[in-house]
Formats: sequence, C-alpha cells, structure tokens
Amino acid sequence: MNSLSAGADDGAAREQESESARPGLPSRDDVAGLPVPEATAAGRSAAAHPNASCTTTRRDVLKLMAASAILAVGGPGCDRKPYRQIVGMHESPEYQHPGAALYYASTWTDGAVPYGMKIKTLDGRPIKIEGLPDHPLNRGTASAAMLGSILSLYDPERLRGPRREGKEINWEEADSAVTDALRRASSVLLLTRATLGPSERAIVERFLAACPAARHMVYEPLNDAPRRSAWRTVYGADGEVWPRLSRAKVIVSLDADFLGVDGAVLDQIGDFAATRRLDPAAPDPKALSRLYVIESGMTVTGSNADHRIPLKPSAIGPLAEALRAALAGNEQPLAAFRDAHRLSTEAQEILGALLKDLRAHEGRAVVLGGAHLPEGVHASVALLNQEIGAPGKTLAWNPAPATLPVDAPEEIAAALAKGVDVLVTLGVNPIYDWPGGDRDGLFAKADLTVGHGLHLDETLAACTLALPSCHNLESWNDRAPLPGLTTLCQPVIAPLFDSRQEAESLLRWTSALAPEDEELKKAAGCWHDYLKNRWQNGTLAGAGEPQLAWEAALRKGMAGSAAIPAFPALRRNEAEQLAAIGAAGSGAPSATHGTDANAFELAIQPHHALWDGRFASIGWLHELPDPVSRLVWDNAASIAPATAERLGVTEGDWVALEHAGRVLRLPALVQPGVADGVVTTTLGHGRSASPVVGTGRGFNVAALLGAGITGHLAQVTLRALTPAEREAQEAPRFQLVRTQKAFSQQGRPIVIHASAKDLATDPACVKHRFHIPELKQLDNDWDYSGGPKWGMAIDLGACVGCGACVTACQAENNIPIVGKEECAVGREMHWIRIDRYDEGDGANPRVHQQPMLCQHCDNAPCESVCPVNATAHSHEGLNEQVYNRCVGTRYCANNCPYKVRRFNFYNYTKRLHKDTVQELAYNPQVTVRSRGVMEKCTFCVQRINEVKFKLKNEGREVPDGAIQPACQQACPAGAIVFGNLNDPESRVVRMGGSNLAYKVLEELNVRPNVAYLARIANPHPDVHVEDYGGGHGHGGGSSDADAADEHGKGGH
Amino acid sequence: MSRDGAASTTTTGTITGTAAAASTLTPPPLVTGKADFQSLDRDINRPAESFPTHRWWMAISVTGTLAGVFLFCFAYTVARGIGTWGNNNPVGWGWAITNFVFWIGIGHAGTLISAILFLLRQRWRTAIARFAEAMTVFAVICALQFPLIHTGRPWLAFYWLLPLPNANNIWVNFRSPLLWDVFAVSTYGLVSVMFWYTGLLPDLATLRDRAKHPVRKLIYGILSLGWSGSNRAWSHYEKAYLLFAGLSTPLVLSVHSVVSFDFAVSVIPGWHTTVFPPYFVAGAIFSGFAMVATLIVFMRKFFHLEHIVTKEHLDLMNRIIIATSLMVGYAYLIEFFIAWYGGVVYERFAFINRAFGPYAWAYWTMVSCNVIFPQLLWIRKVRRTVGLLYPIVILVNVGMWFERFVIVVTSLHRDYLPSSWDHFTPTWVDAGLFVGSIGLFLTLILLFCRFLPAVSVAETKAVLPGSHPKHHHHGQGHAPAATPTGPGGTGG
Repeated sequence: MNSLSAGADDGAAREQESESARPGLPSRDDVAGLPVPEATAAGRSAAAHPNASCTTTRRDVLKLMAASAILAVGGPGCDRKPYRQIVGMHESPEYQHPGAALYYASTWTDGAVPYGMKIKTLDGRPIKIEGLPDHPLNRGTASAAMLGSILSLYDPERLRGPRREGKEINWEEADSAVTDALRRASSVLLLTRATLGPSERAIVERFLAACPAARHMVYEPLNDAPRRSAWRTVYGADGEVWPRLSRAKVIVSLDADFLGVDGAVLDQIGDFAATRRLDPAAPDPKALSRLYVIESGMTVTGSNADHRIPLKPSAIGPLAEALRAALAGNEQPLAAFRDAHRLSTEAQEILGALLKDLRAHEGRAVVLGGAHLPEGVHASVALLNQEIGAPGKTLAWNPAPATLPVDAPEEIAAALAKGVDVLVTLGVNPIYDWPGGDRDGLFAKADLTVGHGLHLDETLAACTLALPSCHNLESWNDRAPLPGLTTLCQPVIAPLFDSRQEAESLLRWTSALAPEDEELKKAAGCWHDYLKNRWQNGTLAGAGEPQLAWEAALRKGMAGSAAIPAFPALRRNEAEQLAAIGAAGSGAPSATHGTDANAFELAIQPHHALWDGRFASIGWLHELPDPVSRLVWDNAASIAPATAERLGVTEGDWVALEHAGRVLRLPALVQPGVADGVVTTTLGHGRSASPVVGTGRGFNVAALLGAGITGHLAQVTLRALTPAEREAQEAPRFQLVRTQKAFSQQGRPIVIHASAKDLATDPACVKHRFHIPELKQLDNDWDYSGGPKWGMAIDLGACVGCGACVTACQAENNIPIVGKEECAVGREMHWIRIDRYDEGDGANPRVHQQPMLCQHCDNAPCESVCPVNATAHSHEGLNEQVYNRCVGTRYCANNCPYKVRRFNFYNYTKRLHKDTVQELAYNPQVTVRSRGVMEKCTFCVQRINEVKFKLKNEGREVPDGAIQPACQQACPAGAIVFGNLNDPESRVVRMGGSNLAYKVLEELNVRPNVAYLARIANPHPDVHVEDYGGGHGHGGGSSDADAADEHGKGGH
Repeated sequence: MSRDGAASTTTTGTITGTAAAASTLTPPPLVTGKADFQSLDRDINRPAESFPTHRWWMAISVTGTLAGVFLFCFAYTVARGIGTWGNNNPVGWGWAITNFVFWIGIGHAGTLISAILFLLRQRWRTAIARFAEAMTVFAVICALQFPLIHTGRPWLAFYWLLPLPNANNIWVNFRSPLLWDVFAVSTYGLVSVMFWYTGLLPDLATLRDRAKHPVRKLIYGILSLGWSGSNRAWSHYEKAYLLFAGLSTPLVLSVHSVVSFDFAVSVIPGWHTTVFPPYFVAGAIFSGFAMVATLIVFMRKFFHLEHIVTKEHLDLMNRIIIATSLMVGYAYLIEFFIAWYGGVVYERFAFINRAFGPYAWAYWTMVSCNVIFPQLLWIRKVRRTVGLLYPIVILVNVGMWFERFVIVVTSLHRDYLPSSWDHFTPTWVDAGLFVGSIGLFLTLILLFCRFLPAVSVAETKAVLPGSHPKHHHHGQGHAPAATPTGPGGTGG
C-alpha cells in the first residue's frame, strides 16, 4: 500500500472528523472512477471492464470484501459462513481503521438545490449522509430527501446493467448503438434536467458541437419558469432572487412555501429560524421577525405564520397589486379587493397590520411569491419588494442560478411530434410526470430512444436502450450553487452495479463523434479526468500546484466563496406592464363566487419528501409524515372542512377532479386551513414502474398539471362521485393513513406558547402558563456527579416542523419502515416524531409543531415496570434499552406518558428485505432489532460513546457541541441542542435555565431531561388575536384555564 | 368438622329421620329428596362410572374444536409475532391482558367458596365447592396462557421472568408489578391445585373402591394416595384441609389485588387508581360466582344432581352476586367521583372519554351487565328460577369481560399527549384466542366431570340430614337439638 500512496496521482480527499485534515497529504486512491497509476494498471486486464480505464482498484476490492465479510458474520439471519477467499491485510492501509468512520465531502446532485454533503463511510461503505458544515446553503444540515438518498444507493431494484428492449447487453454494444445512430441522425433531441452542473453543461455543449443535428431541451415538470421569466423581464437579466431572510423583520409569503418546498429550503429555514430564536438568557421579543402568510393550501410555512390568511391562488395577484397600490398611497384597490373577496374582519385587520409593517420596515421586509404563481404576479411582487426597499438588503441577486431555464413542455412535445431520429433522456422521467396530454404517445415518433436513469422507471421502460446511471454517491460531478462558489461531488464507493454516470456516457459519445477534440482526447473517455482537467484549468487555475489544489478542493468539497453581486435595477415599466397583465389575467374572482359550486382552484405542490416522484423508491420518505396532514404513503385531495361539508364528503371519500376533459379520482383529505374553494394535492406519488416501494402508492396527478400551463395552477371542477360512479369504484372509500389522529391539545400544557407582547410585559410569562405543585422525591436521586449527564433542549420557536430530524434518526439508527398497512394500525417505528396541534378557528387554525422523542426521564416510568430489567438508567442520565434482555411485555410503552417507545410487532427488517444489497445500508454501529423487542431513542448513544472514547484517549474533556445526535445534526432550524447538563456553561443548560423553558408533563414528576423553549409568536398588536392574552392559565383556548388550574390542585 | 361416621366409603344402613325438631327458623335442607349415603355415592359418581353420553361427546367435540382454535392461534402468534393482534402504539395491551384478568377473576370463586366459606362455616358450600375449585384451577390455567404469549419473545419470557440465579448476575426487576403478578398468580395456582387435590382424596378413594376394571382401580388407587378412611387419615386430612383453607384465604384477596397493581402502579390516567385492589377483588368474586352459576346449572341438570345442587344453592349464590354487583357499581361511581374531585385534567378526561368516547358502547355494556341487570336478582323468583337467572349470570360474565376491556383499552388509547391517540381494533387472532380459551376451559370442565366427582361425595354426606352425631367433635357439650343441620351448626 505504501507504493500506492506514494505513486497515486490523486485522491478522494476526506474530511476528517476533526478539522485537522493535513494539507498536502499523500493522496489516497481508494475510490472508483479514478485513473490508476501506470504501475498498477499494467497488471490488470483492461478489456475485462467496460469502464476500461476506470476499473475498480485493488483497494476497492479489499474494502468490499471487508464489508461483505463483516456482513456475512454479523448480518441478520446468516448462520453459515460463506465459503470464499479473504485476503488478509498484512498491514492496514493508512487511514483505514476497521470500524472507524471516514468522512468525505461531496455535493447532493439529486435534488433541485445542490446542498453540500458530508458522507460517513465505514469500512468502505457509505452509511450516512450528513450536511456539509462549510456549505453556505445548508450549513451542515440536511433535508429528508438528502438523508434518504443513501437508501437509493442500496436499492435492490436499481437497473444493474444496460439493456436493449429488455435484453441485457454490455456497454460497448450500447455505446456503438448510440454513436452509430447519432452519426446517421438528422435530428437528435437531448432531454435533461435543469440541475446540470458546470462540467455537465460543458459536455452538453461539446456534444451539441460534435453532433450538429442535436438539440438540448430542459425538462422539469415542476419549475419556477414563470417566476424566472418575470425576473428576466423586470430585472433585465437572467438570474434569480435569493432571499436573505436572516436580515428581515417582516416576511410576507404570497403562496410561497419557502419553509417547505419552494427554493433553497434548508437555507431559508436556517435564516428564518435565526430570526425566531431568542436568546435563552434574556429573551428579547423585539428580536423576533413577523411572518405573514397568505396561501391557498395549508403548508409548513403557513403553520409557522404569525398571521395567516387562506386565499385562493387567483386572488394572490390582485392582492399583491392592491398592496402595492396601497403602499404607494392608493388604498382604493385594497378596499375593492376586500369587498370582492369578502374578507373576514380578522383578514382585514391582518392586511392593515401588514401594510403598516411594510411601511415601517423599509429595507428590513421582504415579500416572496410562490413558484407556481403566474408571471404577472411575480412582477407585482418585484414591484412590491422595490417599494419596501428589499433588493440588495433582504433580497440578493444570483446572476448564475444553479438551474438552467426550462423549456415549456409544449415546445418539447412539438419537437417530439416532429419526429426525432435519436432521443436521449438523461435523468428525466417524462413518461411519469408529463404535465397532461398523451404521455404514452410521447416517444412515438422517436426512432431510437435512449434512457439513462437509476431505475428501470416509466421512461426507461419505454426506451429502446435503457442505460443504468450511477448513484450520486458513485459519481463525479460539480455544481455552482452561488456565484463564485463551485462545489465538487465525489464518489465514495465503487459502482455497485454495472452502471455509468450520465455525463460519462455523453463524454464517450462525444469523443466518438469528435475524435479530434484535444480536451476530450486528454480525458480518454473518463469523466473524472475531464472534470479534473476542467477544474485544474478553470476553477483552480492559479490556486497553486494543480494536484494539491485539486485535493484541497476535494477535501473541502468546494472551491471559491460566494460573492454576491449587486442587485440589478428594476425596469419599472416592464414590471408595471407585466403586473397589469397578471392582475388582469387572474383578477376576476373565480367561479366559486358565481353559480358553479363545483368550480375550484387546484394547487399542485411537489411532495414534501418525494419531490416530483424522483425519490419514490425511498421508503423512508414515503413513511415520513406530511409536515401538516401527517399523511403517509399516499397523496390526496386536500380540501377545507367547509368545502367537504358542502360536497358531502368525509375523509377517504373519492372525489373527482376534472380539468380540460381529464378526470382524476382522488381520496379527499379534510385539512383545516385550506382556503375554501381550493383543492391542493402533491405530485410524486402514483409511480407505475418505480421500484417496489413506490409502485401503487398514491396517485399520479401530473395529468392535471395541464400541458399549456407552465405553473401548476388550474381551474378545475371538483365534485363528489355520483352513486353510480361510487359503485363502479373498487373500494367505496380509500384508506388514508395519518400517523397522528387527534390535533387538539385538549387544553393541556403540551406546546406552551405566548406572544411577544406577553413576553415584553412579563418576562416570566411562560412560567405562568402552567403551575406545578411542589414535587417530592420519595426515592433517592440518581447520582450523576461522576461524569456528564446528557440532556436536550428543543426550541419550539425555531422548529418549523420540516421532519428532517425524523429521517436523520431513521438513517442513523437503522429504524425500519413498516409500510402503509402497519402505519394504519398505528405501528410506525420513528423514534422522534413531530406532533402538530391546532388551535382556534377550524377554518384557519393556528398550528404548533413539536418534536417529541424519549425524554430520558430521571424517574422513568418505563424503568420501574419492566419485569426483566431491560430498560435501565445509565450513570450518564440516559434511559437505555437493552434489546438482548427485552422480552416484549410492552408495559414500558404503556406506562410512557410521552408514548415514544416503539415495539417490533413483526420482524420489520426481514419483512422488507429483498436483497442482500440492502444490508449494506445499515449502520453497523447500531443493533438491528428483532421481532418482539421494544426500542426507542437512545440520544444516539453510539455517537456519544464514539466522541467520548476518542477524546478520553486523547486526554481531553468533551467540549460542548462535540456530540450531536443525528436529529440535531440534520435540523436546518438549529432547534435541537444536545449537551451535558453537568456543565453549567453548556448551551443546553443555558437553554434549560431560560425563562422560556418548560418540560412537557413535568407535573408527573417523571423528571424529563428534555427541555422545551416555548414558542413565542409575534402577532401585530393591531390584530385582535383571541388567546395570546397571557397571564396565568390562559394558554390556549378556553379549556386551558382549567388545565392549568387543575394541575395546580391535583398533580398526578 | 364431624365426618367420622358419615364419610366412610362403605357406609351401610340408611340414616333414618333424625332430623331436628321443626322450627320456623330451620334453614331449608341442603340435600333435598330421598338421599342416603349409597344414593349419593351412586348419583354423584355415575358420570365417572358410566359410559359417556351422546350429549357429552357432542359437547366435548365443540369445546375441543374451540380449544384447537386456541392452540392454532397460540402457535400462529408465536410464529408470526404480536403483529397478528390488534395491539399498537399506544394500545400496547389489548385482548390478551383483558382475557388474563378475566380468567383470573373467574378463578376467584372456587377458592372463595372452598376456603372462605369453609372458614365461615357456610355448609351449603359443599354442593358447589368441588366444582368451583375445579373451575378455579382451569381458569388459572387459561389465564396463564395470556401473559406468556402476549410477550414479544415468549421463548425467553417464560424463564427470564423467574428470578433464576445466573452468571451475568442479571436479576428480575422486583419493582415491576408484572413480576409481582408472576409470584401472585403462580402461588395462587399452586395452592389452588393442592387444595383441590386434597379435597379430592376421599372421593378418589371412593372411586377406587367402586371401580370394577383393574386399570381404573389402579389409576384411581394411585391418585388417592392410599387413602384408607381411617380416623387417623381423616384427622390429618381435616387439619390439612383447614390449613389450606387458611392459606388460600389471603390469596383470594392478594392475587387480584396484585393483578390490579399492574394498572394501579402505572402513571396512566384510568389505571392509576387506588381503589383498584378492593374493586378488583369484588369484581373477581362477582364474575367467579356468575361463572359457577353459569356452569353448574348445566351440570346439575345433565348429571341429575338437582337434589344436591338445589335451588337453595342457586339462591345463595345469587345473593352473593348481587352483593358484589353493588360493590362493583360503587367502584364505578367512586372512580368518577375521584376523577372529578381530584381535579387532574388527564384523569377527568380519561373518565369522560370512557363514558362518552369512542368506546362508550363498551363502557355502557359493562355498566348495564354488571350493575343494572343484576338488580333483578332482588326478586326471589328470579334468583330461584333457572330460566330467569341464567340470562343474568351470562350477562354478568359478558359485563365483567368488558370491564377489563374498558380498563385496559380505553385508558391506553387516549392518554397524555393527544398526538399519540389511536384506536384499537382486534383481529381474528385476538378473537380466536379469546373464544379458544373458553373452549379450552370448557373442555377441561367436561373432562373433569367425566373423570372426577363434580360434587364432593364425602362432604355432601356430612350435610345429609341426620348425619351428625349429637356430640361435638371435641366433646364440648351438647349442641341444641334444633341446630345441627343448619349451616355452621357443627364445630370443627
């Protein structure tokens, strides 16, 4: 190995756990896709592998074998040792300590936003995706889809080799078929996603140059084309507006779910949470921002609003215009708007307060418009932002967005309809998500169809050639998320299957078409070389010795730093004109005010986790409850309670949605907060050829998007089924499964909240929301003085309820998914969950989100009732579950007041086990639980011990913040803080000692070790809000008074 | 006790009317009709000595099938997991624990009748004691199945729940009520079996002596442990019997108190209730007597023992049923009162939810079966008419099962955090185990009736009119002539 490290030309730099990665470290050649040193390459059969120059190295083989050996011995259900030769390592390769984790910096290229990833690998196998701390967009946090993409790497349903019409072929055959066709073709269409990185865009350009018949079109079913087009018009340049929410005091969302699915959500949640997080020691209500949300559906953003008005999408444009006029001094349009839309008194008050706030916060306010709104509305929003001085202050300008402008689906359809000789689709799935129209006939006029993708999905199944792509974690790539910043994506494992990344295919085809191209010749068909050359000659030019600069970039995962250019001037005339069209186009109150009671407006959002369906193979994401409705495994037509009553439907009843002659039947979901006359649903379900997990789950609503509509907003007809139709339906009702069924706090002090005003008048107002009698400890207290005592604090003010923590926990702790049927009977396994509680008005409730996990009580009720001592208290304050000892009486779960314990009713791990490749995804540091065993949150005890032991060996104390459970690490809002309660300087102690802190069900004297910081809302003083009254016992709703008083008397 | 003459297995001669002088206060005779020692031997032992009737075969084929269903569901649960049941999070315990408490409750009547009524000199107990004791043993057998299979890993549970010394020095958790359960129920089961078997000895000897077939003689001979009927044997026997009675009496109170701790010790509103121990004991006696009545009505009819288990016995049992029904009703009321008076919001909600929530139907089924319908037993005619009392005791059985269901499920399904509230829906396996356990119970009862005397022959002989010597056993002077036949009339 020594010769290798000396001779290796390059390395996948790893980010060491501590930041002590040595610069200029001898490079490691342990990742596939790398050219290997001449000496080693000579000894290898070059022809044996299609990626001849990119063969697996000896080290990879060793790593895979080590991993397989570990699995074979430790894997569940294996009682026989496999017969195979295992080469013992005489000397362990440097940096490779069995069982010790290595971390690599990379970029998430699957999603719409290229976040930075830090990938944890153990014995050569990636097991966990985390956020890259230095990345400016996600700052070490992660989204659920990002965390979940580790599962799609080990997805047994992945396409494992190239196929022609279903028959397996090899890559040479595939390549020659494509290049031959390309040479002969007179028209070629290359269809890609909008999220191509700089190097990918470069190779696409070279391809287009080498193949003059080719045309590149960008296809995204869900996109922000109208918004971007409006910006292009009103700012005179292509680019995107980047909200800087951390600088805003007043945030207005016009149907923009910026905390859910719209834009760079992790960045936005982080910035927003920063304006909602109060200093625990001296909470200053003046530090809070105020969020106004005017939206059609009920979204995560709406659940975090201080003021929320449910409004139809068509009314958003006129409202934006009316607000702009009012800011300019003309109140008349706003008055007309109020009358036309019959706004409630509260809504009128809110609009008045909103105007006041916008006027008062020039340069510190921002208005955001939802991606699906028409162009004209975005022009209005731009004018509004100009009016309040947002550009350059709360809005930044990115002249080079990470995504390409998309082509309208009708243009793509027209190109296809003309007939193409070769159609190449890279990573897109139009046969699934084509917006309306005849999707099956889409490829009818293409002679040769070439599909490149991870799975044999709907599109690949319709293609002549189906080519398997490499996973994000097996690929080289780059992205440019912000001006001046370029990030790298590096593989952390050799391709598991006979797959190749899309860019490499394009590179090879281009090389074949243009053999004389010097740069391509230099890359010799190897994408890694091409990418590296581009970097060394471009991004890294002048950064010193090229090899060292490259390695440094790899270690860091990026190069350069974000430099935000000046905001372009608004072209007011263009904006005015566009806004006028927008206001006129959507200005007329929709037909619901007229005669047709079945006329509705439809808002289709991407699914919060599955996005446009591309993540439908990831079971974790199907089972991650919707942040608002808590629906799992399906999508549905969400309607307001009033609408449901009018239509005479209840939850699970079928409704028919009709648009442009197309009818779609969906089950109804009654969701308080949805605007009356609006139906919302999500795209991403109803995959027909996705892997086992996604097939047959939910409904494909893409057909309703409408071919001619760039956004996803339409006038639809919604009605209950006729009796005849209902009879024809297979099941009279559809079972929708929510993981939470009751959404009222019942007047109990569970989520404590107060208003900024309450806090200003009484800094201890939170403590007065409940009263706990003096609690006596009859037993001896635990003695924690010998070491740390672990605890947690959760800031409900910061938490937005996105659910990233749930998936992070699932990934870290090998938590199985149980499937819809098991969820339906209430057996989901999540160790941490987000609880939602509604308050107030049923049509427009105020929503609270609360992460709930094991509270690691000192007087744990679970511990005393276990007959076999399977759950016990550790000397560090953890409530530990001993799986080996557990016989599964479930008494502990019954006796847990928080109901956070989870029982393995079946052998869930085995039930969903299809292939040994799935085993690779398990975290070897956490036991895979068997049937009949209770499990629950451990505060990620494996992480605690890893850090503790390491620092102990180094003779150091554990500094505050060195240990992060998976939930805390992923949380984009920074709402979760873990630490040592024995350390008076730790953040968790400071938060726990705050005036805002309380413990849920503290009156039971179970002595929980998780403190919650009350949610401080910031309603405008002008708006009369029912129950932010403050004072003793007026927590929420009339019955809260009872609750608080009764606690005082009774306790338990 | 004075069995000296009466209990001999080979009594000769007829006891002629030495009945006491008539008195208006004389209780009705405990054995009606013309019975003598021989006829008792013959009548009571007939089922064990004759070929099974058609009806018996029909009955056991039905109950045996149900017992088969139980075994199948048992095996299915062990093979597949608790997922085959309706349990979920938050309802970690469902029908299995309901059934467990139900059967343990049924098992109360036997020991109460044998031990407590024995100590209280309630001589009318003789006619039903044996049967009730057998029922206790079988009910405990049924009950024991449930805590075992309701664990996730029964193959470990059945010995990890016992405090066995081991190399790892891992002990059971003595703080856990489930462990107390293990001790309480196993002690109760063992003592009940021993008490029952001790009482059976003279009758087993009778069967041995009457047996014609050598194999039969051999089996009963082994089982009767060489019983000779000597004075010495009787003397030891009576001491042992008294000892067991004394030992069992506190167990009657303790076992269901401890079972109630499973709930009372927890923090769950609706479970965390100090009234549970006495309330559970009263409920257990209530359900136990109802079950005895349910079965003995059939037994006396089919085995022609109406003259031994008389309407008087039914009447007396029904009086106990109505007494315990009132106690249970009082407990229901007091729970609500305390929920209101205690003022704990969770507690208050739990009881409102119990009476008006999604399981209100179960609650009101329980109240009507356990408190409302039994009030009909105030009427003497109802108490003494099989056709009228039978529906009531059946309803009491139903009501008492629902009582346990209501306590277990409605308390769990909505506890502290509304976010975890859910519903419990049983599956066919739940149903199979419950119905199957009834089958198992009845099968054991039927086998018992076939092979052992369902009424204690020896004891019944002792309550025959005129079977009592004029003198007390210890020679403490004459008993008044009018009293010896009355219950409690003889010393011991």
